[in-house]
Amino acid sequence: MNNRILITGLNMITSLGLDLESSWANIVAGKNGVKPISLIDTEGLQTRIAGQVPDSFEAYSAGFVKKRMADQTTRVTKMCYVCAREAVRKSLIEFDNFDRQRCAVVLGVVNTANNSAEKGTTSKNRILKGMNNAMSAWISLEYKLLGPNFTVTSACASSAYAIGIGYDMIRSGAFDIVITGGADSLINREDIEGFNELYALSVNNDPGKASAPFSADRDGFVIGEGAGIMILESEKSALRRNAKVYAELAGYSLTSEGYNIMAPMKDGEGICHTIMSALKNSAVKPEEVDYINAHGTSTMLNDLYETMAIKKVFGERAYRIPVSSTKSMIGHTVGAAGVIEGIVTVMSIADGVIPPTINLKKNDQELDLDYVPNVARRMDVNCAISNSFAFGGHNATLVFKKYM
Amino acid sequence: MGKINENTRSEVKEIVYKFFSEECEVDVSTISENTNIITDLEGDSLMFLELIEIFKKKYSLNIELKTIAKYIIRHPVETIGQLVDTQMLMIEHENNLVNL
Repeated sequence: MNNRILITGLNMITSLGLDLESSWANIVAGKNGVKPISLIDTEGLQTRIAGQVPDSFEAYSAGFVKKRMADQTTRVTKMCYVCAREAVRKSLIEFDNFDRQRCAVVLGVVNTANNSAEKGTTSKNRILKGMNNAMSAWISLEYKLLGPNFTVTSACASSAYAIGIGYDMIRSGAFDIVITGGADSLINREDIEGFNELYALSVNNDPGKASAPFSADRDGFVIGEGAGIMILESEKSALRRNAKVYAELAGYSLTSEGYNIMAPMKDGEGICHTIMSALKNSAVKPEEVDYINAHGTSTMLNDLYETMAIKKVFGERAYRIPVSSTKSMIGHTVGAAGVIEGIVTVMSIADGVIPPTINLKKNDQELDLDYVPNVARRMDVNCAISNSFAFGGHNATLVFKKYM
Repeated sequence: MGKINENTRSEVKEIVYKFFSEECEVDVSTISENTNIITDLEGDSLMFLELIEIFKKKYSLNIELKTIAKYIIRHPVETIGQLVDTQMLMIEHENNLVNL
């Protein structure tokens, strides 16, 4: 069965922009989206910076979200919904021309961030705001889709898992379109204190230095927030409506490390297994990979083990493959990281440009790959992978190819 | 019983229309008896519950939600006109609504 899965719609909301175009332009420019947190009072917190979505989101979202829905949704759910609305609009999909039973929504969501950061929180609508299926439900309702809508939770790999599941749903022949992605925010006192307790967050409050993946002075990740939507469509459907195709999702791998609730398996063995499985599942040879969008969290262990894994998979060629971390610019968007970084990977193929790893100023002797330091690079990208790894040992690698 | 007078229906109607106008962000003049709450106004079932609370307070009604639910199962409410009628019956009959 030849049922290729194409990406025909994209959008993201990040600390560097409220849409795909502005976020991507700023990521290519190597802009830093990490700033002092304004969403909450950070008095007394060890970590006081984050990749926070611009305050202008509130006014922007009002153009999409009616009063009734606004009262029943959190800021993060609104981000996901607005992101999806724009992704669908730009994809030129008219659901009236589709069998709605063959259209689904699968999102990666950790939670809806119905926490102390939510302004004007009362007990009213607590359930509707807090239910983890809210984002997929609102998107499904918007377009009156009759296929399944649901949420996948695997921490920082959640939206990468959603994309993988969406791929299989279309591949099975049962669906034409799956709206995938997710949204997340950890910018609230409870989560910041919790991650500080785990020594996972950077305590460097200098935005120009804190999120420093692959740098010798990295000391933990920086919190980010945002949303990303990737519309997956069967080749047959995309060709029928002459859709714009950004890239092909060639395959993926989802694995578990079976090792530790927080730490990655030593020497990157689990990561290595995940990347190798993804390439095999996608019928892509290691020598075909032109770019790696790394999980690259700026933590000691992740960056070391991810580097070790890349060396094991690609051998000597590892040193010639550009590897970069989007988190250096927008922080760690957790449940949304898989899709946002997947989108960045797709755009590297679509635009022929590899975004940089910023804040990479001090070389670590053990980290000696080409991390595309500080400046983007023009390059024809035919095949690229995006990695996501999570507490709990949830690993995912997505494989994207130029559609030809 | 005894909570209905000649002005009650117009009071109920005004409250219902104003509520939907505000919540659904539509001009009150576009709402009529035949307006469908779900398809025309993109309303939701929670709105009905919120209105019940408003009327329970305003008219000090002694009525349980399960009574209303039993009635609604047999007499579905889809339009604004049906909603006004149902609210009127609630005010008039309170818990005896279930026997109608």
